[in-house]
Amino acid sequence: MYSLKGSGNRPCLNSIMIILGIDVGGTFTDLVLHDAQTGQLRSLKTPTTPPAFADGVLNAISNTGLPAGEIGSIVHGMTVATNTALEMNGARLGVITTRGFRDVLIVGRGNRTQLYDIKAVRPPPLVERARVLEVDERITATGEVYLPLNNDHVASACEQLMDEGVEAIAICFLHSYANPDHERRAAKIVQRALPNIPVSISSNILPEYREFERFSTTALNAYVGPKVSQYLGRLSDSLAKSGIVAPLRIMGSNGGTWSAEAMSAEPVNAMLSGPAGGVTASIGIAKLLGLPNIITYDMGGTSTDACLIRDYEYNMTTEGHVGMWPNRASQIEIKTVGAGGGSIAYIDPGKFLNVGPRSAGAAPGPACYGKGGTEPTVTDANVILGRFRPDLALGGEIKLDEDASLSVVSSLGDQLELSPERMAEGIIRLAVARMTATVKEISVMRGLDPRDFTLFAYGGAGPLHAADIAEELGITRIVIPPMPGTFSAFGLLTADTRYDITKTRLTKLQDTDLAGLEDILEPMRAEARDRLHRDGFEDDDIRLQVYLDMRFVGQAFELTTPMPDSPRHITEITEAFQTIYEERYAQKDSGPCEIVSFRVVGFGNGPSIDLPVKSDDAKATPTGIRPISFESQFVDTPIYQRAELPTHTIISGPAVIEEDGATTVVPPKFTASVDNYCILTLMREGA
Amino acid sequence: MSNIDPITLEVVTEGLISVVREMRATVFRTARSVAIYEARDFSCGLFDAKGQVVAQSEDIGSHVVPLPWSVESALNEIGDNLEPGDIILMNDPYLGGTHLNDVTIIYPVFEDGELVFFPAVREHWADVGGAVPGSMSGTATEIYQEGIRIPPVKIVERGVINKPLMEVLLSNMRVREERLGDFNSSLAACRTAERRLSELTKRYSMQTLLDCVELNLKRSEVRMRENIRALPDGEYYYEDYLETFGPDGFEPLLLPLNLTIEDDELTADFTGASPQVPAPVNSTLAVTAASVFIALKSTLDAKHALNHGSFRPVTVVAPEGTIVNVGHPAPAGSHGEIRKRVIATMLGALSRACPELVSADIHRTSFHNLIGGIDPATGSEFVHYEWSCGGNGGFKEADGPSAMAAIDWGDLTTVQPTEVLENRFPLHIEWTQLGLDSGGAGERRGGLGMRRALRLTRGNAVYSLLSDGAIMPPFGIHGGETGAPVDSYVIGADGTEHHFDSPGKVGGHAITKGDTVILQSAAGGGYGDPLIRPTRDVWQDVKNDIVSIDIAKRVYGVCFDADGNVSEDETKAHRREISAARPSLKTVKCIKDHYVASGPSKRRTIRLHPDDIERASLEVGQKIELYDKVGPPLRGWLVADSNVEPTTVPVDERGSTLLGLTVDQYVMVRPLYTPQVSYRSAPVQ
Repeated sequence: MYSLKGSGNRPCLNSIMIILGIDVGGTFTDLVLHDAQTGQLRSLKTPTTPPAFADGVLNAISNTGLPAGEIGSIVHGMTVATNTALEMNGARLGVITTRGFRDVLIVGRGNRTQLYDIKAVRPPPLVERARVLEVDERITATGEVYLPLNNDHVASACEQLMDEGVEAIAICFLHSYANPDHERRAAKIVQRALPNIPVSISSNILPEYREFERFSTTALNAYVGPKVSQYLGRLSDSLAKSGIVAPLRIMGSNGGTWSAEAMSAEPVNAMLSGPAGGVTASIGIAKLLGLPNIITYDMGGTSTDACLIRDYEYNMTTEGHVGMWPNRASQIEIKTVGAGGGSIAYIDPGKFLNVGPRSAGAAPGPACYGKGGTEPTVTDANVILGRFRPDLALGGEIKLDEDASLSVVSSLGDQLELSPERMAEGIIRLAVARMTATVKEISVMRGLDPRDFTLFAYGGAGPLHAADIAEELGITRIVIPPMPGTFSAFGLLTADTRYDITKTRLTKLQDTDLAGLEDILEPMRAEARDRLHRDGFEDDDIRLQVYLDMRFVGQAFELTTPMPDSPRHITEITEAFQTIYEERYAQKDSGPCEIVSFRVVGFGNGPSIDLPVKSDDAKATPTGIRPISFESQFVDTPIYQRAELPTHTIISGPAVIEEDGATTVVPPKFTASVDNYCILTLMREGA
Repeated sequence: MSNIDPITLEVVTEGLISVVREMRATVFRTARSVAIYEARDFSCGLFDAKGQVVAQSEDIGSHVVPLPWSVESALNEIGDNLEPGDIILMNDPYLGGTHLNDVTIIYPVFEDGELVFFPAVREHWADVGGAVPGSMSGTATEIYQEGIRIPPVKIVERGVINKPLMEVLLSNMRVREERLGDFNSSLAACRTAERRLSELTKRYSMQTLLDCVELNLKRSEVRMRENIRALPDGEYYYEDYLETFGPDGFEPLLLPLNLTIEDDELTADFTGASPQVPAPVNSTLAVTAASVFIALKSTLDAKHALNHGSFRPVTVVAPEGTIVNVGHPAPAGSHGEIRKRVIATMLGALSRACPELVSADIHRTSFHNLIGGIDPATGSEFVHYEWSCGGNGGFKEADGPSAMAAIDWGDLTTVQPTEVLENRFPLHIEWTQLGLDSGGAGERRGGLGMRRALRLTRGNAVYSLLSDGAIMPPFGIHGGETGAPVDSYVIGADGTEHHFDSPGKVGGHAITKGDTVILQSAAGGGYGDPLIRPTRDVWQDVKNDIVSIDIAKRVYGVCFDADGNVSEDETKAHRREISAARPSLKTVKCIKDHYVASGPSKRRTIRLHPDDIERASLEVGQKIELYDKVGPPLRGWLVADSNVEPTTVPVDERGSTLLGLTVDQYVMVRPLYTPQVSYRSAPVQ
């Protein structure tokens, strides 16, 4: 029997074998449960309960009917951090910064994101200028003290910020990545003066250079901090009250889980808590299937997330954004595009057809929800093309209102003189083009050919459009994992624990040797191990990986290069970098190179989960037939239920495969089959 | 062409834009100079065989919009001889370029032996030789001092690089490795584009691609025509100035704009612009025309992707040998100044045609500051190029953004990280902050300018500045006030201040270890009368140190109580007082020439009766402006004339058009700009 993971000892789970993965989404809270003893894997959906998200989580747990004592571990994907930033309802923030640099967070890079618009405005800053206070202190680029920290200035800043009623404080000093001493001392003063106010320190949150990006990440951390710790605190309390003693772990943007305590201190690392689960689960399934190179495609109601995985590894990036603010915390490189099932199609004054980024959301939702939606969405287009079962229950009690879809899509079509069917096709083609462009950004723009990858499609709407996307990109193999509608929650079950330790230290390779690098790396390794020990991992379950952010001398952007295994000479590091550089930019280059940042990643092995296996060689029997439009023609199309599909039987398109929470479209020229694990694979003919 | 369905059109358009996006990503990641990778001073574009803009992404308007002229002149020079594998390099301003630093690679892409597309990259190379490090000297008198001039040449011929030529070019530029890196990054971007275009053609056929391009151009054209048709037909006028310094001091050069709107077409006519001068205030026809387009696009059609179609209903007239259409051998380095000034004249003229669509004036100049020399720590040359952007003009819905790239700059980064600069150059950035009270007062305030202090930490260097707007600050509209002007000066290691005789224009001023250069970018103009700015907004500005309490009271008329809260009753009374005390004059039509000589050009005078001058507390020779509730101010130099009827002001035909006067209307008068606070006070207390 195959496992989704290399076996880990799971120190926190030795006696109790039930794990819950709980993913809070915009509309539903998804829970997936795994019982290691019985091998049972079960998923359920509960409505999300904003703003008291913890209630929804507890509802989901109580819906499992499990006795509290049997739950061994809870892994949680949450949206609180991201929502707080995007909805701008975070903490009233105060910032203490280096004298003369009050406007770093206010002005940013002085750029303009809306081109050619005389009425463009800058997004509001996370902190009002009046609450950014300057103190005397200065560290130089090489980490020496240029002007000592003035403690009195910090103390009087505290008084002023207290009068202003701030709820969180960020300490952001220049060059603190090179020497964090001033920031740490200032933090001590603040903590003494204002013991109840959480403090975020830029050299802790992101010890990397470029002040605006570091300050912004730190300010984001401080801004979302109180909401996140409040939420996690309340959730832990409620769990305790329900008698659940299982440790609560939080999925991080870096693809690993964190203790709730660690995440409360650095919540800026939870911005991708939701989508990260799906990505890590995809890797598990990919390993099971022996597919090292995949592109994940997670299409939900309002947006689509895509991530490229090579040799079973995703890329990490430090160039994320939340809304308009840079978030440089190390995170999985996931590209998001504002196109989902609920994305609205409209014609703008220039007669351009547009799809998204505006979304009908959960309320009113697409017109076919019959809840007052009056604008055509991608989902409505799918309804017109017959892709949904007419009696399909969309999101609980909602029944499909086909007439509503027809009416809104027709009226859009009238404006372009297109029939409703052609209009619906158009909406989908354009949405597919947008999503394809996103996939291209993470593949072709990196010099990688998407045709060498397998598309992993999940999320409520992913399996619907997977074949279209694959066709557009020339991809020939599509995998629809089990439980695609709740796949991110499933991913939480298997995630490793992961801590990223980073240090910026400009190091020219010609000026150092392997021992010099070790001097920097060894304390970092110790810290990573220490954090994992604190989470209960023993050395056998700990893996460490080292990455170096490198560039040619003179460049300003780095490529994260895995440190070669036990290199014998420093030139091996240069070679590793040059290879990666050439792959990324399709251009060879040479010259002296330097390391900008050192990264040690500590993994604590996550639990392994065995997918249930079935074997059945009966013939596939459709449960119905209905007309569905393919290439502008309605064709009588057989409908299958995924759960009932016999293994290894090939179904030729056109076909539709239905299951709880997702519908897979198999167009002509594609075939579909399920394997022993009930993993659904679509192949393009001729491949 | 009609067989292209709207969906294919969108999908192909998305594909073409993503080609440019990918070019950008390539340049950004592979370049080796700060100007490019930190500040993104480069642009990519895709052009058709006729040189029309087909697609662009987050690129800089000032680069992309004039590019068609470069492509056109490259075609004129080399046209018939282009073969697959050829690559054109150029920077000649006289042949469709912008300024010498903007080095352009034009890369012909062939399909079945036929020329179909030109991907092109225009990068600002931090140095192209010339008199000063960074090449942009504020005191150049001929183009030769601005660097090496490259007419359109095949730098690569049938795939083989012309090494001797490359060697000649690099030998004439500072920091040559960086330049080679710049060149290679442009090349990599174009190669990427070629690959992607070929994939698109395989997918959709070249004909479909070309049809989609033409459909897109047509759509943009139709949209722009509709927008122009919606404006009231008529003649509009605005005049502004560029700054030069002669033996007798300041010599403003006139830039007049006659804007004609007729049905769905628009003509921008700069006849009457100052002759070109042996100083860096001239620019090219490409830049002038591009600036007209940028102003129109940004006010009338802001929400749509840019392509060449929007330019079709627009005619630009710029006589040869003037500051807006420069010829050999005058300096041509002032594209950033002419561009912003052309945009300013467009905003001024349009503020009467569509008062609610425009903003007040933006920050006047590209403010090219350069500090360069040899770093004794490394023994290598360095050039730090900094263009701190300033404030933008207020507009109907909001205050102008502070220190943000203007509409001609796209997504250009204008604040370079202190931590990067200090790691890389012998510079210590003492502070970087917004200028208190710099924003033009108004119902909607102009954005603040940026101030930065850079100290040289090792060795010697030279400081150069190519700028404008140090004497004639950004104007407000609809009664809004002027924003703060550009300034720069040096504080010596011993504390002495050195100010320049030609503010805004400095060529190679020697600085030494411990000297600090202070840069101050211009602010944005105000929109509407400051006396009707909501008191809450003024209170907020005071709280955030955007406006001082003194200016809040004197200019906005807002009074505060002892607790720092707005005292509404007192404010009402005070605002009434200020309003009543504003001097106003009755306009009378006058055919006399209102201009006097100014260097090779001329400047406007405004004649008032001596009693009125006294009554309005003005001074003879002062720059003043006449203004009304709607439209731009009429600016001129004050002359006392006892033949003028008291309480009246004579206005000529052009002045009347500018002010939108019918008969004998009243206008208000005020000084152009009196620094109302000590703008040079220590930055932080």
